[in-house]
Amino acid sequence: MTCTGMGDPVVYLDNAATSWPKPAAVRNAVQRALTVYGANPGRSGHSMGLAASEAVYRCREELADFFHLPDPSGVVFVQNCTMALNIVLKGLLREGGRAVVSDLEHNAVMRPLHALSPDSPVYDTAAVVPGNTQATVAAFERCIVPETRVIVCTHASNVFGIRLPIREIGAMAHRYGLPFVVDAAQSAGLLPIDMQKDNVDFLCIPGHKGLYGPAGIGALLCNSSLSLPTFVEGGTGSQSLELLQPEELPDRLESGTLNTVGICGLQAGVGFVRERGMEELAGRETRLMASLYDRLANLRGVRLYTPRPDLRLGAPVLSFNLAGRRSEEVAQALDGRKIACRAGLHCAPAAHRRFGTLESGTVRLAPSAFTTAAEIDRVCRAIWCEVHAGRRCGQQG
Amino acid sequence: MNRVVFNVSSVTNAMRGKSLLERNGIRAYVGRSIDASGSNGCGYRITVAGDAERAERLLTSAGIRIRSRQEEQ
Repeated sequence: MTCTGMGDPVVYLDNAATSWPKPAAVRNAVQRALTVYGANPGRSGHSMGLAASEAVYRCREELADFFHLPDPSGVVFVQNCTMALNIVLKGLLREGGRAVVSDLEHNAVMRPLHALSPDSPVYDTAAVVPGNTQATVAAFERCIVPETRVIVCTHASNVFGIRLPIREIGAMAHRYGLPFVVDAAQSAGLLPIDMQKDNVDFLCIPGHKGLYGPAGIGALLCNSSLSLPTFVEGGTGSQSLELLQPEELPDRLESGTLNTVGICGLQAGVGFVRERGMEELAGRETRLMASLYDRLANLRGVRLYTPRPDLRLGAPVLSFNLAGRRSEEVAQALDGRKIACRAGLHCAPAAHRRFGTLESGTVRLAPSAFTTAAEIDRVCRAIWCEVHAGRRCGQQG
Repeated sequence: MNRVVFNVSSVTNAMRGKSLLERNGIRAYVGRSIDASGSNGCGYRITVAGDAERAERLLTSAGIRIRSRQEEQ
């Protein structure tokens, strides 16, 4: 095996943080939005303002259709998935009560819950049993107490890719009359989500990961008769004589000027995923990660934490460590070999606590639609060189 | 042909109504409400040139609240 030379372009495997590169259609849509839809949507009545409003509405329709939300008015644009989770969790628990969470949650779920009651946790934690739907649902069910007001979980772990059985967890939540919230940060655009069949009341999505939109745009999709309290109040371009925030969605939860550029980019990103086929994209990325997994599993000194990547069980995200080396150090060394990946805790200490990697963190690799088999070969060679750390690039192994 | 204007509360409702009507073969246009004070300020309208009764039924059955209706020449 030969180490990679320094003249190669960067292999970007940090797509779980944000996808890159963006499809040409997204870049063009952003450019077009800046050029054609420059006016403020939902405010003025002139042609450019109405055109911007229509562009924004088309994206609401696109997202509603993509995630099987019956009413596009339930699509609330926010800046990111974290904001969506804050709105829904702090809204549902404003009057008190507890949440049930999984033991794989990101801080986007855990920190808002902690902020609600820093001295006394307002959540109960269910231990996910990877690949075992029945046991996982039972673990969630055991956490329900009379004070429980909501069940919230990630769809797929951002560190280990482990997929949660949201349809079955949602069905169980509804049997108890509880709303079900899904953090789809790692799954939106990769794993199918049908809000109706999957029993999801509130879906929180980022626009800039698996949906290939620009950073700074996300959405909260509401499929519930529950009216969330406002998180921010202000101008909506509607019912302006009233000091009370409008009741109707999306205006109730969308104050101030919208990110038209991000919204147009997001719509193009969803179009890209549709065109390429979500199943095809996810299958291809899983095969790439499985191929890498097989080679890493045969390298002495590489520690893997999950079974071989399998789309039925998880999203294509692979975490590993090298014996005797800190994850940050390995990622830095890989950056020197032009491999862009992320190390550390990935804002998900709960998942690391579960896997015993809280001290070391992990090196995380996440592909995208643009990752090639040749790039995975390069990554494999680079890791091989790091395992045999004394070797210089170009030496044969 | 007479045109009918349906005033609704928000631009999203207006766009949703337009989309719904056009899917059902009714041409519709969105604009700002002329009489903003009648809709608590800053409303939008859907203008329909066609079967206004059917349009109204479609809008209301989809849960789009019509604040007022005006006939235009």
